[in-house]
Amino acid sequence: MRRKIEKSKYNIWQNVRYMLRMACRSRKSGVIVLCVLTSILQVFSSLTGMLVTPVILRCVEERALFSELMWTIAAFAVVMMALSGVITYVDKNSQLDKVTVRRDILLDLIKKDCTTSYPNLESQAVGKMRRRAYNSVSGNSGATEAVWITLSDIIKSAGGFILYLLMLTAVDPVIIIVTASTAAAGYGLNCYTKNWKYRHKEEVSSYGNKRWHITRRAKDIRLAKDLRIFGMESWLYDMYESVMTLYRGHLRKRERVCLAVDVLNALLVFCRNGIAYFYLISMTLRQGLPVSEFLLYFAAVGGFTTWIGGILDGFGKLYEHSLDLSMLREYLELPEMFLFDEGESIDEFMANCSKEGGGAEGCLELKNVSFRYPGAKEDVLHHINLVIKPGEKLAIVGLNGAGKTTLVKLLCGFYDPTEGEVLFCGKNVRSLNRKEYYSLFSAVFQNFSVLEVTLAENVAQTDVDIEMERVRECIEKAGLTERIERLPAGYETHIGRKVYEDGIELSGGEMQRLMLARALYKDAPIIVLDEPTAALDPLAEHDIYQKYSDMTGKRTSIYISHRLASTRFCDRIIYLKKGQIAESGTHEELLRANGEYACLFEVQSKYYGEEKWERKYS
Amino acid sequence: MVKKDKISYREVLLLHKRGLMIFWRICPGIFLSRACYALMTGITPYITIYLSARLVGELAGERDIRQIVIWVAAILAAGLLLGIGSGCIKRWKLYENASIWQDKDRVLIDKLLNMDFSVMDDPETHHLLAQIQQNSIWGGVGIYKIPELFEKSISSMISILCAISLTIGLFAEKVPKTAGMLCILNHPLWIGVLSVLLLGTAMLVIIIYKRINTYFEECTKEAELGNRVWGFFMFEMTDMERAMDMRIYNQQDIGIHYFQKHNNYVMALKHLAKGKMGLMKGLAAAVAVSFQGVIDLFVCMKAWAGAFDIGMATQYIGAVTALYSGVETLVQTYGILQNNAPFLRTLFEFLDIPNLMYQGSLTVEKRQDQRYEIEFKDVSFKYPSSKQWALRHISMRFHIGERLAIVGENGSGKTTFIKLLCRLYDPTEGVILLNGIDIRKYNYREYMSVFAVVFQDFQLLSCSLGENMAAGKSYEKEKVEQCLIKADFGDRLRKLPKGLETCLYKHFDKEGIELSGGEAQKIALARALYKDAPFAILDEPTAALDPEAEQKVYEKFNEIAGDKTAIYISHRLSSCRLCDVVAVFDRGRIIQYGSHEQLLEETEGKYYQLWYAQAQYYIEEQERQKMWNNLIADET
Repeated sequence: MRRKIEKSKYNIWQNVRYMLRMACRSRKSGVIVLCVLTSILQVFSSLTGMLVTPVILRCVEERALFSELMWTIAAFAVVMMALSGVITYVDKNSQLDKVTVRRDILLDLIKKDCTTSYPNLESQAVGKMRRRAYNSVSGNSGATEAVWITLSDIIKSAGGFILYLLMLTAVDPVIIIVTASTAAAGYGLNCYTKNWKYRHKEEVSSYGNKRWHITRRAKDIRLAKDLRIFGMESWLYDMYESVMTLYRGHLRKRERVCLAVDVLNALLVFCRNGIAYFYLISMTLRQGLPVSEFLLYFAAVGGFTTWIGGILDGFGKLYEHSLDLSMLREYLELPEMFLFDEGESIDEFMANCSKEGGGAEGCLELKNVSFRYPGAKEDVLHHINLVIKPGEKLAIVGLNGAGKTTLVKLLCGFYDPTEGEVLFCGKNVRSLNRKEYYSLFSAVFQNFSVLEVTLAENVAQTDVDIEMERVRECIEKAGLTERIERLPAGYETHIGRKVYEDGIELSGGEMQRLMLARALYKDAPIIVLDEPTAALDPLAEHDIYQKYSDMTGKRTSIYISHRLASTRFCDRIIYLKKGQIAESGTHEELLRANGEYACLFEVQSKYYGEEKWERKYS
Repeated sequence: MVKKDKISYREVLLLHKRGLMIFWRICPGIFLSRACYALMTGITPYITIYLSARLVGELAGERDIRQIVIWVAAILAAGLLLGIGSGCIKRWKLYENASIWQDKDRVLIDKLLNMDFSVMDDPETHHLLAQIQQNSIWGGVGIYKIPELFEKSISSMISILCAISLTIGLFAEKVPKTAGMLCILNHPLWIGVLSVLLLGTAMLVIIIYKRINTYFEECTKEAELGNRVWGFFMFEMTDMERAMDMRIYNQQDIGIHYFQKHNNYVMALKHLAKGKMGLMKGLAAAVAVSFQGVIDLFVCMKAWAGAFDIGMATQYIGAVTALYSGVETLVQTYGILQNNAPFLRTLFEFLDIPNLMYQGSLTVEKRQDQRYEIEFKDVSFKYPSSKQWALRHISMRFHIGERLAIVGENGSGKTTFIKLLCRLYDPTEGVILLNGIDIRKYNYREYMSVFAVVFQDFQLLSCSLGENMAAGKSYEKEKVEQCLIKADFGDRLRKLPKGLETCLYKHFDKEGIELSGGEAQKIALARALYKDAPFAILDEPTAALDPEAEQKVYEKFNEIAGDKTAIYISHRLSSCRLCDVVAVFDRGRIIQYGSHEQLLEETEGKYYQLWYAQAQYYIEEQERQKMWNNLIADET
């Protein structure tokens, strides 16, 4: 198979052992026992199924006692009923455990996703690995769940193989050889179609993606307006049809290949049955075997084929699961470029720091920092030197693309600089426990993550021990009290409709206020606000600015804006241009310096017609 | 929620019939191929049963070599032909099936693309749609089950018919008189007894399953919620856009708590599996096998008594077993139909949402001089699901070639106004007139041709640049280029290797280009220019830009819009200075209307307040203080 070319870190046995370990960890080791039990029971069930007709017919054929016939039939019926009942019961019971084991692994994966070093999320190689990892946990057919069925099938087929082999050796080894080789040939044919499909996987998924993309757009309410104004329906249909035409073309090819294999398979069965009939009939005639025995052996030939196919197929599948599991484990074990629990604890180090009292407590410093995105040709930030003192209100302004957001990401520890260092209290952030470092920040970024839980939980960012008093206070400060108290469920109202059907949708402006309340509730020493008023109207924006120092209190605050003059309430403004700090100082100082900031300010204020104001009030 | 009340047999069948007709129109092949396949799979086993029974009979009796050879040859040939035949039909079926599976959202899209915007925007519609999609994702239920159910019911019916024809002999062939007591097996009453047993077992199994379902229903509600929680956290928590907040606020902890909180149903289900539900399932499986024993018993007794030979016995056993599974499948299929019916109901509820807008047939006169005049006459509007007026008593007239700015606080009705103007919604009261005629009397498409709008959340599709500009497959190359150059996209366009053929974004084409917010915006503006409609509307399309870039966009647009009527909405009021008139919206009303200069004179007005809130940043400190005091004095 093609996929064998791929190298994986773990082999089949290591991965099977891994799954066994995972089952034990989830305290579902019962899964293993139940799997083995099901396979054994299934072998017996199939054996009884095969024996029943020949055995009872033998009674008829040999004119056994009527009572014996009755008893035989009754015994078979009872055994079959019992087996089928027990198998169903066992299977039902192992099902949920299998799901639990898979979900536990999925949780690991989500945890990894949510905590892994931020740059990992942007790496394409990691992204690819991650998608494969998710494949193995999504749905009942994902490797982490399907592996149990595969293992159980292998055990079953192996058991059946041995039993039937013993039975057939009584007949003629030729039969065994013929059956085994046709089964193997059949497996080979199946592999061929599988390979063919594998080779065209990309093609198929590209059609699928395109179709999915088009349908998603057609359902998108945002597009609905443009769609009607510009009359795009026929365009969408055209795109859709062209994708479907390509896909149907592919399907025709695929089914033709499969059909060829079907025909070959039918020929194989023809040969196998022909040879089996020839041997068994000539044996029956020569040795005068009873017809019931002929039936038994013929059924055994069929069964034997199935078992061999089962074993080969089982290992084929196991191999594929193993590839997926390898990818999953590699992702889960992906080395972190940031230090987390192994890093220096900030609490301890802060305690030491204040004892020594170097005046550097809570001080953030960028020392000759440059940053370049992986694979990019140019630096986004060059040689930035910046000290942010505790309690300082700093503003970072600049036009689109000046590097403001990247600078913030460096400060918050989402990236490590390509050159230079970020220092917290004089310590390189690289050496600190990154998780604790994040706890120093309250932030409102431009993309925010609102969970579909209650309003109060979103503000407090926890679902246990919420201080309601403080939630109310923060909501009040952010100016949302009126809106929330009008709701019937108040602070317990759910946000969004994806999880709770009674949830509400907040407007862009309301959402920004909620995010502000959340940042205030966290009460971390450093507060970062990245354009927190973009979706607000001028009056609401003004309101937030007025309250700004009240809201941020004694905390260090970093405020990012592309409107130059909106940040006068800050102690210091940094004007960023093309990844460098072009100017820095208070608004007045910057104006006096008459540099680029002043120049841009001039341009912007022209839009607001300063001269008219002067005329009216002077 | 899916309505759980009882649905009559008639309705179950009618619902499925309607679903079937929908598919039939899209793709009749799916039913033809499945019918053929059902026929093939229905008959195949009986041919094998019949032929092998003959062979066994021969082996059990005369053992005539010639006869044996004939039967073996027949079996092998039949196997080969049936194998190839069913292979062909199966491939046909799978082909149709795979294409329908890919095409499965077609029904929804057809509806959505032809729906009134107001209906599509209704939360009720959205809710129904979400429900339908969830049903098909989580349960695979709904309309897509229909082809499968269709096949199942046909193949089981064929199977039953074949089985019956092969079983006639079982009752017709009599036990010889010599068998004594066993002659009782000749009594015709046995037909009844066996039929009752067969149907009884099948029914019993179904009854047990129904019982099992009631256990399951106990935790359905919890399970549904649990699944939604899983869905949300699994798909959303790992979203790149959330990654920074996730780390700063440790959001995964809430997520994991919610998982655990809503995972109780798994425990409940486990408990059920260990107890009642599992036992019942086992019982059902055992009962289902029990009929096999009955058949074996009856057939063997008759064979033992000498009614027929062993070959016939294998035939009867095979045929009655198949008969039983045919009946079982048929009954089961009906059960699935019943379960599926509520989901179809939801789907049809969605498909039956009527379009409420009146569609007139008037065409809009094409005028070279762009003299189109629109007037709002005492227009009021309420969103369908809301009690509050979003707009109240709006009357205004657009003068041709004029630039109008619309300003106001969040939620004051600015965007709603545009939606009414573009007839995405119809007014609740009052009328809107185009050249003196109610806009409802125009053909919708014709009316739309009057507007080019750049919405706040304008959308570009992952197709070629040219197609995006024309919003269609074909475009006029030169005009497209001109518009792009006018919109300041010329530099980038020249650098594109494939020019207008270049794909936007990478969904469809790996060589597609990514656009920055500003670039996308330029294309959206150019698209509006390309449409060359008499009314151009910019609804805050510039939120992502810095003030300078924004101002440039407005200035540029103002220049290129020429003699068109233009309407601007923006939070940044600097754009108002470019306009002839400014309309100030407040709580759904127009409270001020006039030129920028006029409105600034009204120092107690809203406009003054809004303007000041922004302009203050550009004014010296002293001035600021003075003006702020002044403003407060005005307010009180």
